[in-house]
Amino acid sequence: MTFEASVRFPLAKPVDFVIVGSGSAGGILAKELSTAGFSVVLLEQGPYRQAADFTHDELAVLVFNELGGGGNKAAQQTFRSDPDKIAIVPSRQPAGYAQTVGGSSVHFTANFWRFRESDFKERSLFGAINGTNFTDWPITYRELEPYYTKVDWEIGVSGAPGPHDSFRSKPFPMPPIAVKSSGVLLERGARKLGLTAQVEPLAILSRPHNNRPPCIGCGFCMGFGCEVGAKSSTLAAMIPLALASGNCEIRAESAVFRIGTNGNGKVDKVFYYDADKNERAQKARAVIVCANGAETPRLLLNSSSDAFPDGLANSSGFVGRNLMFNGHARSSGLFEHPLNDFKGVQVTRMIHDFYESDPARGFYGGGGIDVRPFVAAMPLAYAAIGGVPGAPTWGAEFKAHLEQDFVRSMSLFCGTTSLPQDSNNITIDPTHKDNWGRPSIRVTYKDHEDDMAMAAFLQDRSMELFDAAGALKSWRAPIEQQNGGVHLLGTCRMGNDAKTSVIDKFHRSHDVSNLFLCDGSSLVSSGRGQPTMTIMALAFRAAEHIAAAARNNEV
Amino acid sequence: MTKSELTRRFFLQGSGTIMGHALARAGAPAILAVLQSACSARDERAAFTNLTEAEAREVIAIAARIVPTTNTPGATEAGVVYFVDSALNTFLADSSDFVHAQLAEFQAAVATSLPSVGLFSELEAAAQDKYLRSIEDTAFFSGARFLTIAGVFGMSSWGGNKKETGWRLVGMDGPPHAWTVPFGYYDAQYLSEQTDDV
Repeated sequence: MTFEASVRFPLAKPVDFVIVGSGSAGGILAKELSTAGFSVVLLEQGPYRQAADFTHDELAVLVFNELGGGGNKAAQQTFRSDPDKIAIVPSRQPAGYAQTVGGSSVHFTANFWRFRESDFKERSLFGAINGTNFTDWPITYRELEPYYTKVDWEIGVSGAPGPHDSFRSKPFPMPPIAVKSSGVLLERGARKLGLTAQVEPLAILSRPHNNRPPCIGCGFCMGFGCEVGAKSSTLAAMIPLALASGNCEIRAESAVFRIGTNGNGKVDKVFYYDADKNERAQKARAVIVCANGAETPRLLLNSSSDAFPDGLANSSGFVGRNLMFNGHARSSGLFEHPLNDFKGVQVTRMIHDFYESDPARGFYGGGGIDVRPFVAAMPLAYAAIGGVPGAPTWGAEFKAHLEQDFVRSMSLFCGTTSLPQDSNNITIDPTHKDNWGRPSIRVTYKDHEDDMAMAAFLQDRSMELFDAAGALKSWRAPIEQQNGGVHLLGTCRMGNDAKTSVIDKFHRSHDVSNLFLCDGSSLVSSGRGQPTMTIMALAFRAAEHIAAAARNNEV
Repeated sequence: MTKSELTRRFFLQGSGTIMGHALARAGAPAILAVLQSACSARDERAAFTNLTEAEAREVIAIAARIVPTTNTPGATEAGVVYFVDSALNTFLADSSDFVHAQLAEFQAAVATSLPSVGLFSELEAAAQDKYLRSIEDTAFFSGARFLTIAGVFGMSSWGGNKKETGWRLVGMDGPPHAWTVPFGYYDAQYLSEQTDDV
């Protein structure tokens, strides 16, 4: 994990940009701005792991949360569903994300849906929803489409167009990953029900692309790093190009705790703890925060000052508000013959027939259903928590179930909308601190009743799909109020109105002209459960505008 | 007598007990072959670094009921006891005293409940199962179950899953974990139909 920087910038000399966070957005911004000739310091709180450091070690990754910085024992995040109650530190980290160069793009499952045209204007289409901050985006799909295409080609996306997709200006750069048995079964069930199972677009290479190798089908995508670099993380696709520019210095194991401002109301330095927990401050002409939808608001709220008493860039009070996790539901089933769904990528087929919100359902919401092994790709996890409900959990019969069922099971996974609500938010916990000594992230969250209804609706459809596909047995995972999530969206939303948003449509803070925010926090609505493609497209778009502004001395 | 000799003796004795139970249960020659192979592999192992002989014997016996040896290898052959011993050096190092105390408590409780036998590892398999069922809801059993599963199915670098016993048990071939089509029955059928169409 040792890394020799190709360029080093002195702390006291301002660089053009300090970027906080090297994930889906930060990695792209670092590459785009450094290759455009700007000096960039990229700060990442996790270590610099490379492809060869990634393993299939379930104990290390899933139990000890190796890629997530050790989990909530280290993060000390707190959670509550009721804003009137004192939040507690749960064993599971409520806001989950990777801490490693490349961020959560390293360990994500790599499902890569684009949002649709409707996603950007649902408030206009469906009207206001009481108790929510449901609103249109300040940009359209048409404005973002060229950047979706840039992601397809530069990051590397395999797939094929589906019948419900919004328009695309260029085909996928490579064909889909080979369909698995689970995908064939979903196609079978969908056909019987008059639905369409379409190819799942994946940020995983099906053939060599941009000097990177294709997928070897190891099956350890969900939650794990890719040992060959076929998964299109920013670690694999962007960071090498940023380093090759000679203008980007990556400082791993650097935990940012504050952004400093000068007398002119501009940001001018970023304070962080280095690997030895020494306090450092890097001067910068501009700062871009890409730390994710939980860390970005925490950093802004922890950067309050006399000039910004409610937190940096928070005159609207919208920093941290409107947290959206996406809703989820899952059902699982067993089939007569082996699927061996542990082989290959997690998902090869999905159903988008229920993507659009339909007022006839009686509630707002939409979503997608994909088919995947879920824990049936990971033997330890499957033995510990998978399997048929009610079956023995130890003994000879338990073992017989494992031998019989692991290769014959699959799950239907529903990703749905979340509505933006004031009461779902990221704030600073008044008591707890993380292992760096930074005041902890406090998550307050309760799913909207429409989100719960949508999840239940899709789970009902999933059960019909299992029957139609010929499952021997199928069952539902309970749909419960979420007490955590890994899609961290909406907490510093973009908008034209500085009173109801944190950044403008080019990701510039309304309050601080040389501060930019770009990550899941920028999203106005939640899409249907696979936000990374959109975060990356926003990052390419933001980079273009930020570079143009910098060239014109407008930062 | 050296520690490794003690360990060797323990294993021959301990594995023999388990073998007897398994054979009594199933009576299958295949089991004998599997266990002989397991014993042979064990003899080559180094001594435990944390568990005492008595503790190790109980760990082996408990794990062997959670993922038993049937007509295929189980926790014993996967080397769960080595995984647990190793864990006390790594992720359980801070809890080592607690784990030893828990095992002592378990042994004491067995001795109280079943004074005529005294040790869990000396019970017949059916009696072992009956006893474990009586403590299924305890934190001890929950921990033992998790450690057994982790020892059977985790990476062998943690000390268990010898010869990919756990992975093979669920139908996964061993490393390198790289696969190409056809993956399973249904996609093979699908590919075949497509080829037929051509």
